Amino acid sequence: MERAMEQLNRLTRSLRRARTVELPEDNETAVYTLMPMVMADQHRSVSELLSNSKFDVNYAFGRVKRSLLHIAANCGSVECLVLLLKKGANPNYQDISGCTPLHLAARNGQKKCMSKLLEYSADVNICNNEGLTAIHWLAVNGRTELLHDLVQHVTDVDVEDAMGQTALHVACQNGHKTTVQCLLDSGADINRPNVSGATPLYFACSHGQRDTAQILLLRGAKYLPDKNGVTPLDLCVQGGYGQTCEVLIQYHPRLFQTIVQMTQNEDLRENMLRQVLQHLSQQSESQYLKILTGLAEVATTNGHKLLSLSSNYDAQMKSLLRIVRIFCHVFRIGPSSPSNGIDMGYNGNKTPRSQVFKPLELLWHSLDEWLVLIATELMKNKEDSTDITSILLKQKGQDQEAPSLSAFEPPGPGSYESLPPGPGDSKPEVLAGEQEASADCQDVISVTANRLSAVIQAFYMCCSCQMPPGMTSPRFIEFVCKHDEVLKCFVNRNPKIIFDHFHFLLECPELMSRFMHIIKAQPFKDRCEWFYEHLHSGQPDSDMVHRPVSENDILLVHRDSIFRSSCEIVSKANCAKLKQGIAVRFHGEEGMGQGVVREWFDILSNEIVNPDYALFTQSADGTTFQPNSNSYVNPDHLNYFRFAGQILGLALNHRQLVNIYFTRSFYKHILGIPVNYQDVASIDPEYAKNLQWILDNDISDLGLELTFSVETDVFGAMEEVPLKPGGGSILVTQNNKAEYVQLVTELRMTRAIQPQINAFLQGFHMFIPPSLIQLFDEYELELLLSGMPEIDVNDWIKNTEYTSGYEREDPVIQWFWEVVEDITQEERVLLLQFVTGSSRVPHGGFANIMGGSGLQNFTIAAVPYTPNLLPTSSTCINMLKLPEYPSKEILKDRLLVALHCGSYGYTMA
Amino acid sequence: AETYDFLFKFLVIGSAGTGKSCLLHQFIENKFKQDSNHTIGVEFGSRVVNVGGKTVKLQIWDTAGQERFRSVTRSYYRGAAGALLVYDITSRETYNSLAAWLTDARTLASPNIVVILCGNKKDLDPEREVTFLEASRFAQENELMFLETSALTGENVEEAFLKCARTILNKIDSGELDPERMGSGIQYGDISLRQLRQPRSAQAVAPQPCGC
Repeated sequence: MERAMEQLNRLTRSLRRARTVELPEDNETAVYTLMPMVMADQHRSVSELLSNSKFDVNYAFGRVKRSLLHIAANCGSVECLVLLLKKGANPNYQDISGCTPLHLAARNGQKKCMSKLLEYSADVNICNNEGLTAIHWLAVNGRTELLHDLVQHVTDVDVEDAMGQTALHVACQNGHKTTVQCLLDSGADINRPNVSGATPLYFACSHGQRDTAQILLLRGAKYLPDKNGVTPLDLCVQGGYGQTCEVLIQYHPRLFQTIVQMTQNEDLRENMLRQVLQHLSQQSESQYLKILTGLAEVATTNGHKLLSLSSNYDAQMKSLLRIVRIFCHVFRIGPSSPSNGIDMGYNGNKTPRSQVFKPLELLWHSLDEWLVLIATELMKNKEDSTDITSILLKQKGQDQEAPSLSAFEPPGPGSYESLPPGPGDSKPEVLAGEQEASADCQDVISVTANRLSAVIQAFYMCCSCQMPPGMTSPRFIEFVCKHDEVLKCFVNRNPKIIFDHFHFLLECPELMSRFMHIIKAQPFKDRCEWFYEHLHSGQPDSDMVHRPVSENDILLVHRDSIFRSSCEIVSKANCAKLKQGIAVRFHGEEGMGQGVVREWFDILSNEIVNPDYALFTQSADGTTFQPNSNSYVNPDHLNYFRFAGQILGLALNHRQLVNIYFTRSFYKHILGIPVNYQDVASIDPEYAKNLQWILDNDISDLGLELTFSVETDVFGAMEEVPLKPGGGSILVTQNNKAEYVQLVTELRMTRAIQPQINAFLQGFHMFIPPSLIQLFDEYELELLLSGMPEIDVNDWIKNTEYTSGYEREDPVIQWFWEVVEDITQEERVLLLQFVTGSSRVPHGGFANIMGGSGLQNFTIAAVPYTPNLLPTSSTCINMLKLPEYPSKEILKDRLLVALHCGSYGYTMA
Repeated sequence: AETYDFLFKFLVIGSAGTGKSCLLHQFIENKFKQDSNHTIGVEFGSRVVNVGGKTVKLQIWDTAGQERFRSVTRSYYRGAAGALLVYDITSRETYNSLAAWLTDARTLASPNIVVILCGNKKDLDPEREVTFLEASRFAQENELMFLETSALTGENVEEAFLKCARTILNKIDSGELDPERMGSGIQYGDISLRQLRQPRSAQAVAPQPCGC
């Protein structure tokens, strides 16, 4: 009966509490009943269940073999913890990884549990399997308060884990300031190395813990490298921790110099080093000056090493340029003080800021002396009746045999890099002096050119960083002028230098103009290669021709409004992505791929010159186009010009030819070349003739009464537009007529369409940088954009007239056409250019060729033959003056000479 | 990384053909440079040596002796701490131009530059044109150290460089030379810093109140 009552009672209690009230007999089942209660610190229930059971409170369960005391300590269930301890739980029981309940309480910051465990004499010195103790756990997480309580019980505050790390190491690494102080106060060894020799300061620096490093240094921490020689400073710089470096320097001022010297270390990442130096320089004006002066000194030493022939060119060049880049960056950023105006150090201002460049003067001086020396050597050779060009040619040949200087200089053993004997070194010294001098000169130039060029680049960088962006330093311009001849020699030897050390030439048109003739003298094919190489440089997989375009980047255009919809979509598209690859799909059509792209460019190039949009007008001869000065009738015209520029730029970027030919003057506008009065002929041939006439004749006594102004029809009203300020009252005279012609040309050709040109160029330059396009002249640009015009020789023959004695059947004429059939397409274009001034056949073929005054067929006129006489032409009447050559061979030879030398540029015949 | 107490900038100067590059080569590589030709401009080498318990890195600039390179090589002189002034004992002409080289070094590098006079090609004694005595008198008059050397056999080459380095170290110790001064041609290396237990300047930095 009582038993039954007891049973009923238990049932009721169980139901009320929604749990069992009696522990199962078996430990494993029991522990999983208790665990959730311990975790929730339901100590009454636990107590109740434990009271009548034989459960082993030290029973270890689960994968990591923990006891319930571990669970309680881990979760902060302090009541359960005490209960378990009272029931005889072992406070030092270690789980499978060697952790005691105290470890877990410390790790999770369970303060009450920790103190209770200590009360029940838990051992604070026990290590887990990795050697970690409770104080390590507290230190990792910065639990200073708990540590403070615990550390009094610890026998050895410097207890090491398996890696030799003490609590102080881990606290420093994690930057727990108060923990670090507590440990130090408790007698932790401030300079304790771990197994790899890393000290607490080392750990603080490895993670950029500025405040911790400061505390350590303040308390006298030693600055010690690890066993591999890595110093705390190395770590700070590697991590780019400027503030921590600052603290190190505060206690070890000599480290300042070490940081500056570190710029020579090629293993360090440049951006980290720059970040550190930038931070340090921003602390104060004096620090700024000190860093820059230091950098300038290091740069000078490295520059001198580069200018010493035994150093490794490649490594030393990179080192110098890296240091100078950092120097310029730090200089430009300036200290954070408000006086951040740009200080033109080289313009005579003797401000402290400009003084930082002073150490570099030694290097520039050496550079100067070297260039003077080379100029002297070049001169000597000239005097020795050796033609300079032949030296240069010889050198080029030699360079091909032993191409790169760096290959020529393998690093020697030790730190001394000796120059291996070059070709001809074994020559006995008694050899004829002159010959030796010339060989010497080649030698000096060939072994120094690359080195000097790199120093020149460094000089340019230093000059430029003192100038506002986009301006070239007067000092550098002066330098280039002074060493004109030597620099030209360098460019001649290696024209590709303009993409490397002489990149400044691409940046400064005023300097480039001096070297342009050398660059333009390089084969067109080479320049095309350079152009595309550098257009795509810096892009990933630049050698991939057709890269896949992601679905999102496909340009979806409407065929029926192709111009407008393309304009809209291109202006929204990502420029960088369009540069990499282009894919077009017409709305409602499946087609994609290169064919569609090709078609898109084709249609667009016809649309751009569609007269309905009034963007471009035809030239006088109907073959070419240029911006329409009245394009503003289309209110969106400037947007469309920008779009036209984008399409042309994109086409060039992706080597797609467009089906438009522009006037010579418009190509010049794209290239930034000034136009001349002859370009007027394309839009107004009659007026061009008049300008020519003024130039050719003495106008003094003609009474033209011209002034520097023109009358223009502006919306029906005649208005006087001065060509220059006050032009209306300046008379055109024999002396100033050239200026007048130039100004009036600019007015007609440029000023009238300036907004259109600007908008077009804005679009064009989004894809083609001006610095690269200038490698070409206007003829080549046409070739690049529009390709070689097709010339139908049969149509040409059919529409040619003969005069001054020639007949179609004459042998000379027969030979002529045979030659035309023989020569290449390029040469036929040159011939057409030579005779008509235009490289193209108008729409409709040769029958539609225009002359100065209307239709004017291609004509061949006879000229009496004298030896060596070349053919000439009169472009305004499309006439070829062909001497009566005695044979086909002579005819072909003379014709080709004329084409290759004289197809561009005019002389009055 | 290389560690050293000091770095000294050294020059090797003297007329063409006296064996400057061979001296440098012998010092650095410990062997004679066989088919040596004229130096173009300047060459550069370095070696770390032990002098009087200190580690010193010698950064040595070997200059061309030919007249045509004179203005170029002069531009490398600035801030040199020491120099080897070299003549050829078999060539009086090279001896006669010593005064000019010395003036260059003292005016362009530094008036305090430590110079050691080296009579090179000692191995060619039978062809000697300059006696030991007159050269040592010249050295005395001009406050130079003096040695006769042979880049071929290596005799006295090491000594020449080390003697020069030791003199500079002595001058640093005596305070005659201040490594901290700009353009002294002397730099502190890493070691000097590591050996400082308590940095000298730590007292100079006002200890900040503990922020805890």
